[in-house]
Amino acid sequence: MVTAAIKATAYCLNYASELGLHYGTTTYQERKAHPESPFLASLAGAVRPFDAICQYAPHLAYIGAIDTNALEALPRPHLDNPVAQAQRFGEFGEIMPEDEFLGLLDICDVFDLVWLEKGFAASVRPALESHPLLGPEQLKRLGQGREATAITEEVNQRHALPLYYHGAVVGCCRPGHDVDENLSAHVLLENLASKAGAVLALLHLIKNAGMKPDDIDFVVDCSEEAVGDINQRGGGNMAKAIAEIAGCGNASGFDLRAFCAAPVAAIITSASMVACGARKNVAVVSGGSIPKLYMNAREHVKKNVPPMENVLGCFALLLTPDDGTLPVIRLDALGKHTVAAGASPQAVTTALVWEPLQAAGLKFADVDKYAPELHDPEVTVPAGAGNVPEANFKMIAALAVMKGQGEKAAIPDFVRQHGVPGFAPTQGHIPSGVPFLGHAAKAISNGTMQRAMIIGKGSLFLGRLTNLADGASFMVEAPKPAQGSVSRQDVEAVILEVLGDLASRLKG
Amino acid sequence: MSKLTGKKLVLLGERDGIPSPAMESVFAASGAEVVFAATECFV
Repeated sequence: MVTAAIKATAYCLNYASELGLHYGTTTYQERKAHPESPFLASLAGAVRPFDAICQYAPHLAYIGAIDTNALEALPRPHLDNPVAQAQRFGEFGEIMPEDEFLGLLDICDVFDLVWLEKGFAASVRPALESHPLLGPEQLKRLGQGREATAITEEVNQRHALPLYYHGAVVGCCRPGHDVDENLSAHVLLENLASKAGAVLALLHLIKNAGMKPDDIDFVVDCSEEAVGDINQRGGGNMAKAIAEIAGCGNASGFDLRAFCAAPVAAIITSASMVACGARKNVAVVSGGSIPKLYMNAREHVKKNVPPMENVLGCFALLLTPDDGTLPVIRLDALGKHTVAAGASPQAVTTALVWEPLQAAGLKFADVDKYAPELHDPEVTVPAGAGNVPEANFKMIAALAVMKGQGEKAAIPDFVRQHGVPGFAPTQGHIPSGVPFLGHAAKAISNGTMQRAMIIGKGSLFLGRLTNLADGASFMVEAPKPAQGSVSRQDVEAVILEVLGDLASRLKG
Repeated sequence: MSKLTGKKLVLLGERDGIPSPAMESVFAASGAEVVFAATECFV
């Protein structure tokens, strides 16, 4: 069996409510069309503060402050039942406040695109200096700031986008070119935010792995941003830009894109590189998506539900050779949605779940937990998109019934036993199964889980090139103990034993 | 002849529910004309 190990995982959220109020797709388009929009006024009044974000149980599950079993046991709705103690840091990562994230944007900017106002830059510096993972290499990149008048001039005369904190302009993101819309301030702000989130996750990953930045061999980015100019939109290598800021001097990298299926595709690609010996270790990373902030807020405001799409999701995973002790990704039984597979839920689930189980000689019940789209239902249900993970679990359970591996009446039990509560922010590529990998790796290491299946699905129709469905999946499971090598002493002992046995028979 | 013969259909699919190509396949032999089909993603 060809395998690669999961050495460490990291998961972070970046609180980005004011970025969302101004530059999320829904709010940005509404503001352009209706600057005095009642929806925008209502949304601004309904924003949840940072402390409430750190008391929201699904977020705490994302950063590893609680596990998914604990999340499942907590009273719902989680929005009405905040955990008593707000937690910024969890076992996997952290929830970064918005002022620090704006400072991190400046740290991650190497083209003088982000200007912070002097007073704001000075106020955020102590917080970033006390951050446990930002070292001198990162902090020296934080600028002293600019006069407020200079920022106003950039915004009013040079198409820069204002950056806000507590409703006031505290900086701006400048365009990278006079006329190239691919280097507009808006596009660059999205790219920089994704880069900054991934840098934070990568720093947590390096700490969680007990390694040094220079130990990282290769980085693969699987976010949703297109990095490039007018002549090569989406040209990429966000990965190497991330590695540079994180201090990974020995790393190279590349990007992989496949809409929301990209994280699973990137993990399969990276695990393959590790397993064949091409790379000794690979960090799979992704930052979050500004456009999706407050994406469904129109429905939330209409239904008087707190708008919770105010965090950017990011993660990082470190894949290393299978050493017989760490949880492993199986590369001999991958889920692959082919061109001819079909788009119906049954066809997609067959390709992504049934076929890899067949390849591995396993039954549906042999997988402890399935992790498909793990969107937080308290965000999606009020928006009319339903409980996405539950719908996926029901489809898997129904397929098990069709294949003669369960009873129809037992579908709710299957969903309860093999499902995972949705706890990921609606950040497109982020919820695609991968948020469960940290919890699964921990449970496998603890001996409380044998196997999980991670499933990612992509919406290719969004790019207007094909209507095909898409997806990929893999299984993570407990390692097989390493086969010990036979020593000379072992051979001698066996020979002596046999000779002794032979001698005693001859005597007899 | 089915009761959809001669009807015009607008099909709105959802990525994690029923996408529009799957619905188009279902209605292919119904006698109805699909005048618009789209899949959306809300997550």
